[in-house]
Amino acid sequence: MSGATDHSPETESPRQRFELDDRGFNEVPTKYRRYYRHWQGAGDQLEPNEVICPVCKVVIRSTREIRVGDRLYCMACMTRLRIREDSEGHLEADCEY
Amino acid sequence: MKQSEGLANGEGELHDLDPRKFYEQVHSFEFWFQSVEGYLSGTVYGRRPQTVETPLAVAERERLITVLCNYCVGETAALEGASGLIAIAPNRPTQVFLSTQVVDEGRHLEVLLHRIAALGIADPEAEVDRRASSTIREFRRRLLQLVASKDWEAALFAQNVILEAMEFTVFQSHARTADPVTAEVLEGIVKDERRHIGFGENELGRRLRESPHRRSRLIEVKRDLDALVLETFEEILREIGMAPDERPELGRSYLAAVERLGFGQ
Repeated sequence: MSGATDHSPETESPRQRFELDDRGFNEVPTKYRRYYRHWQGAGDQLEPNEVICPVCKVVIRSTREIRVGDRLYCMACMTRLRIREDSEGHLEADCEY
Repeated sequence: MKQSEGLANGEGELHDLDPRKFYEQVHSFEFWFQSVEGYLSGTVYGRRPQTVETPLAVAERERLITVLCNYCVGETAALEGASGLIAIAPNRPTQVFLSTQVVDEGRHLEVLLHRIAALGIADPEAEVDRRASSTIREFRRRLLQLVASKDWEAALFAQNVILEAMEFTVFQSHARTADPVTAEVLEGIVKDERRHIGFGENELGRRLRESPHRRSRLIEVKRDLDALVLETFEEILREIGMAPDERPELGRSYLAAVERLGFGQ
């Protein structure tokens, strides 16, 4: 996965861009596999373009840095998510039914 | 060029998909087929032919057979429940998704019965009848009652939130300590369960958002079934040899789901 910077058209500051590689996640159709990976447990770390699905616990990946208010999809459990900041400043995903 | 074609070519961003297109796609048989192909292709009865059996001690084998018998009752309940839910599903995409779930549940039952046979049991179905616990049987009876009464939200909650969350967490945990063949069978089932728990939570979440008054009915069902679920959890975890201090962790997935749906207490 490689990072570059991209300037979004609106008022927000530039977002890092990421090229996604296939991490062996085989639970969704081939064309979507690079958007997901399994959490590797202790020692694993989320990148700025990654968040954990609260329902099924897979790591969801985006081609751009994730920010508060972003909407993401977990295809493994078919959930739509909205990003928020928790009390410690970490990004978390809430289900949007 | 369609958005999905762009994604296939490495262009575009999955997360920019229109929500309607997303749901239409993930509830389809086509999506199901391409998903399961990724992890079931090359397996036979849920295991790769090259995975080697490890010898089990007699007591260990006995405990495993009993646990698998209980899993079979859970999967039978899910198979019968999902089949019945198709008839009362509110729309076509939901019916189509449930038809994929029926196929998954039928496969789960088949691979588990096959595993029991591979462990030396000549008549696995008779063994299930002989060994399965009364609590999981009672859960099955109550679930099928809810389906028969055409209570869509309550039946879906019992099946795709309570039962599936329990299976999801127990199978994941069991796979970590099981022999390699059983672990592989369980891991394949867990991958299917992700879709089932997600479907249940999302469908109920949408229904509750549109009609908040339905929440009280689900609280009632939860109250009615909680004790059975916890007792079943305990029985299975005891059999697979999980230490008591690790057990509360396992209920977390179920509790987190009901919390997100707004009736955790």
